[in-house]
Amino acid sequence: MEQAPKNWYDKHYKLGFIIPVLFLVFSLIYLVIFNINNGDLIYKDVSLTGGTVITVFDSKIDTNALESFLLGKFPDSSLEKLSEISTGEQKGFVIQTTAEVSEIRPVLEDYLKYSLNQDNSSIEFSGSSISTGFYGQLRLAIILAFLFMAIVVFIIFRTFIPSFAVILSAFADIVMTLVVVDLLGMKLSLAGVIAFLMLIGYSVDTDILLTTRLLKNREGTVNERIYGAFKTGTTMTLTAIVAVGTSLVVIYNVSEVLRQIFSIILIGLLFDIVNTWLTNASILKWYVDSKGGSI
Amino acid sequence: MKISFRIWVLIIALLLSLIAIRPSFESGVIVTSVDLDSPFYQQGLKSGEIIKSINGQEITSKEDYSNVLGGLFNNGEEKRVDLLTKTNEYTALINDTPQITVDNVPSSRIKTGLDLRGGARALVQPDIEITDAQLSDLVEVSRNRFNVYGLSDINLRGVTDLSGNKFMMIEIAGATPADLEELISKQGKFEAKIGNETAFVGGDEDIRDVCRNDAKCAAVTSCFPTQEGFGCNFAFTIYLSSEAAERHAAMTKVLSLDPTGQYLSEKLYLYVDEKEVDSLLISASLRGQVTTEISIQGSGSGVTREEALTNAKADMKKLQTILLTGSLPYKLNIVRLDTISPHLGEEFTNSILLAGVASIFLVSVVIFIRYRKFKASLVLLLISFSEILIILGVASFIGWNLDLPSIAGILATIGTGVDQQIVILDEAEKNKHTSIKQRMKQALFVIMSAYMTSVVSLIPLYKAGAGLFKGFALTTIIGITAGVLITRPAFADFVKNMEK
Repeated sequence: MEQAPKNWYDKHYKLGFIIPVLFLVFSLIYLVIFNINNGDLIYKDVSLTGGTVITVFDSKIDTNALESFLLGKFPDSSLEKLSEISTGEQKGFVIQTTAEVSEIRPVLEDYLKYSLNQDNSSIEFSGSSISTGFYGQLRLAIILAFLFMAIVVFIIFRTFIPSFAVILSAFADIVMTLVVVDLLGMKLSLAGVIAFLMLIGYSVDTDILLTTRLLKNREGTVNERIYGAFKTGTTMTLTAIVAVGTSLVVIYNVSEVLRQIFSIILIGLLFDIVNTWLTNASILKWYVDSKGGSI
Repeated sequence: MKISFRIWVLIIALLLSLIAIRPSFESGVIVTSVDLDSPFYQQGLKSGEIIKSINGQEITSKEDYSNVLGGLFNNGEEKRVDLLTKTNEYTALINDTPQITVDNVPSSRIKTGLDLRGGARALVQPDIEITDAQLSDLVEVSRNRFNVYGLSDINLRGVTDLSGNKFMMIEIAGATPADLEELISKQGKFEAKIGNETAFVGGDEDIRDVCRNDAKCAAVTSCFPTQEGFGCNFAFTIYLSSEAAERHAAMTKVLSLDPTGQYLSEKLYLYVDEKEVDSLLISASLRGQVTTEISIQGSGSGVTREEALTNAKADMKKLQTILLTGSLPYKLNIVRLDTISPHLGEEFTNSILLAGVASIFLVSVVIFIRYRKFKASLVLLLISFSEILIILGVASFIGWNLDLPSIAGILATIGTGVDQQIVILDEAEKNKHTSIKQRMKQALFVIMSAYMTSVVSLIPLYKAGAGLFKGFALTTIIGITAGVLITRPAFADFVKNMEK
């Protein structure tokens, strides 16, 4: 009984490497095509392209009618409803548009028949050059963060293949998450971009655990060590998924910013299970086995 | 249970955090700023004092404060106001609300950011490239302008982003003035010209002082019906420096009289940002005279008399501010402007708290199901809460305003914190060929490695986007540093104790 699954794992673990890598290749191809079609790797909201976000606290207005009215005047605008968590009651709405505040505000005030002030609304405006500038900087920050992370991983493990496996796994997490985000049609905000940065930290944790357990530990067989790390690692990822999933449910209709952050991390965590325990584990097992199982 | 050195470190860190947060149960309102012209300023009232009562009526909130004062000054009569603060008593006779801004007494020293508290935040960029020194000049001139205008609860600072662009960040807590945009971006170049020649300009080189808040030399002089509604005139005195006065005299000396013989043939034209705002007739008696006192006039209009009066007062205040503070050396563009309603913040705060509590609770359920160890799960939870406490403590200590990105950082920290404690728990559980000490060492190695990768990946965020997301990097770094230095070692000792 004890031996059977291990033999099966020994025979087939390389598949565990090939499948995610094929997945990664398809993801990269998808992103290249996406990039050609859309001019970028993601769909962007007004916080990245420049524009206005107006949040109005109004529990009575018919948001559907307002939305179609606005679409008539500002074709690129979008409207989100805000509602109370427990009762589902309407609390207000959020409008996004690339128009300037001075253009949309009077139209909206006209429709609502009251003027917008700090008591009933929040208005956020960002100019287009600054927004694209910030977006570029955040992309740079992510690339730098990834590079720094890679350097530290190399310093910690000092061997090429295990370090490379950790970095590949983190890279795959980000790429695959990006594909799902695009497939879902999510329009990313500045915060959404930052969520990808957070993903680097979350995905590396379990990989470091696995690599340390496998390379720095001499207790038990390779498979036992992988299984031990797997138990710990999945508990870690599971608690993270529970925490992020709960938060996502609670803030779903409250803050679009936080909803996006939590959704992206949640997707990333799911891929992390695949990439740590198939991609990374397979590479490491192959590496340790090829060294005669005695590192 | 033996309390080891590392556990003591945790206990001390928690106590220090509590001291830094300093929860308070004080009632009253706290003075956030006192205008220099307020009679209470002259009596020594300072910001930070806590007002307990006004004219014997107890004040427990900002609403109380405005209700009591609003009731007093509804007819413009002079009233006696007795302010009782925690430490002092002040009395003044005034006919308008005292120029003091107040806020509810904070319940702790934890400060929240504008996106949670409500207020306005603007990111302003000069239209030319400037040096660091010019940026700090800009900040100083602007600060001065805001103070003169009467806004002192304001945070101004220069920021540089990853690409080296320089900005001025302006944050105003609470209510935002309606003309904020104009106030921020107006270059405020004031010139008084006779013919085509400049007689004097705004700023302290030419203008020694400007009369403000003194009805004898600055007031709305008359209101009258116009075609569109009403108009109101205002006038206030400015005091020129002797050089400017002599220049003015030399220029008027060569002018002739106009047909009426009462005034000079040229007028004094006032320009703000190269736009003519008014022209003044110069009295014949002033020809060639060195006079340091000049009356500046202007007007405001509105549909109703009330509105015209309000606009005239506002225009006067703006002009006074510009004359007193001088112009900014270049044009400014507002590249980002957020005005956040305080209600949005309340909503956010409540949901975030709920999300935090609910996720910690569910995570603890998962941990309990997985390990079936009540004590260990409980300790794990306590450690998570103590990390939050330490982050809040450090944030209060360094005076950091917790905004939404900071809170996202705290949530992220709890997540990684729980993860790392699971590593410790599992390492302790593993087949026990090696000593518990050895195993804890390995767990801490994993944790230290994960820590290093997280810290380096957060550093670029510090500057990206003009520091708007610094809060996320900051709270996360505080949290995970406290984690590796304080809470994780303590947790490892707790676990060791339990294993023995």
